[in-house]
Amino acid sequence: MITSLVAMVKEKTMNDHIVTSYDDELKELRSIVSRMGGLAADQLQGAMKALQEDNIELALQVRAGDKELDQLDRTAEEAAIGVFARRAPVANDLREVVCALKITGMIERIGDYAKNIAKRTEAMHGNSSVPVPHTLDAMASTAYKMIQDVMDAHAHRNAESAMEIWERDEALDNLHNAAHQQILTQMADAPNYVGPYTHFLMIAKNLERIGDQTTNIAEQIYFTTTGLRLEEARPKHDLTSQTLVE
Amino acid sequence: MTQTSSAKMSAKNVDVFYGDNHAVKGISLDLHQDEVTALIGPSGCGKSTFLRCFNRMNDTVESCRVTGTIELDGEDIYDPKLDVVQLRARVGMVFQKPNPFPKSIYDNVAYGPRIHGLATARADLDEIVATALEKAGLWDEVKDRLESPGTALSGGQQQRLCIARAIAVNPEVILMDEPCSALDPIATAKVEALIDELKGKYAIAIVTHSMQQAARISQRTAFFHLGELVEQGDTTTIFTAPKEDRTRDYITGRYG
Repeated sequence: MITSLVAMVKEKTMNDHIVTSYDDELKELRSIVSRMGGLAADQLQGAMKALQEDNIELALQVRAGDKELDQLDRTAEEAAIGVFARRAPVANDLREVVCALKITGMIERIGDYAKNIAKRTEAMHGNSSVPVPHTLDAMASTAYKMIQDVMDAHAHRNAESAMEIWERDEALDNLHNAAHQQILTQMADAPNYVGPYTHFLMIAKNLERIGDQTTNIAEQIYFTTTGLRLEEARPKHDLTSQTLVE
Repeated sequence: MTQTSSAKMSAKNVDVFYGDNHAVKGISLDLHQDEVTALIGPSGCGKSTFLRCFNRMNDTVESCRVTGTIELDGEDIYDPKLDVVQLRARVGMVFQKPNPFPKSIYDNVAYGPRIHGLATARADLDEIVATALEKAGLWDEVKDRLESPGTALSGGQQQRLCIARAIAVNPEVILMDEPCSALDPIATAKVEALIDELKGKYAIAIVTHSMQQAARISQRTAFFHLGELVEQGDTTTIFTAPKEDRTRDYITGRYG
């Protein structure tokens, strides 16, 4: 058992580049992507906690945390450009670097959505008489799990897992449909609170968009790993743009 | 990839032996009109040996034996009745090191047309030489010194002179065996630009050790390893998503 494990590890190292510094550069890029993913998940969690607790300090922290994500995004871009310039990557290396560039852009967007939730929390501060709709919680925890899992799939180059996460977007879209309906209904029942409910609608939209970005990341991982495109059969179940409250 | 009937040259199940050494193992590959096919692979993989089968250059190697069929426009080029000199006029070759004859620039280019009787009058020959040098992108650089020795040119110019010499006899196919490996980047770029232009008139096969060169100039790429053709396909696919692990490991620099 142990010997076969050792053989496996050896097998893996056989797969390295002849030029070790090339591997180091790719590892560095990969690690920036991982750090960004972890940070984006934290940002989302922080933003939702701030919203639930009407915690203005935490909301401000989330807004400040976004700058770190932006900085990492630039670092990743520089690292990727460096690999292009020095290595002229091809095949799986080329896919990896191009996808890292795209994935970091997508994670940066996820950070922007989390920041936007924090901003809305600030705007709603002191309006705690309107409870946060439960469906938003459900959406947020689904989105959070998707980000975590997609970053795992990235770290392990797991195409199957990427596909499974990609399919999960359907559940998030369905939750969004439910949240949208629920918020619209509550809004109709309590016209005095149109302001906070509008924010909730937008937050629901933000969470749905986070799911979309995560799905896009899953597509990139699938392509990096297999060289094949996954998006052709992409699930589209978000109906909110075609819905009107009766 | 399908072996289409529109192939200019078509190799089927070609094996090459040097004595007991099985250098090329059952390779089938087409060369297409108006396309550049790049043959890549580590040293000793059989790519140059295979390239040399297309104009029977291996005939000159004593212990060499070639089996299988290679057709030019549907005709078997290993047919014993075939005139090999004629074949080599139709299927020209450019080598790794520029090898101009120790003659004038003019005579280097005029040599082929003369022995093939393509021109008798001096004016016709002048025309052929000028056209070939123009096609090779060398005319402006040498038109005032056609009587200077070919060997006095720079390496890059010498290689373009050799290309001019190859195209002066109106070939249909051009084989190139690492034509830029002895050239600096500027001279390489000029030869690559030339290959791009020539592509519209000939079927071209090029052996190269530069992955980037294969990616830049070819439309199809064939990867050879240990005498086998591991994978062939359109160049973009080979360099973005090759199907075979061996291809991937070689072109990405993982191959030990």
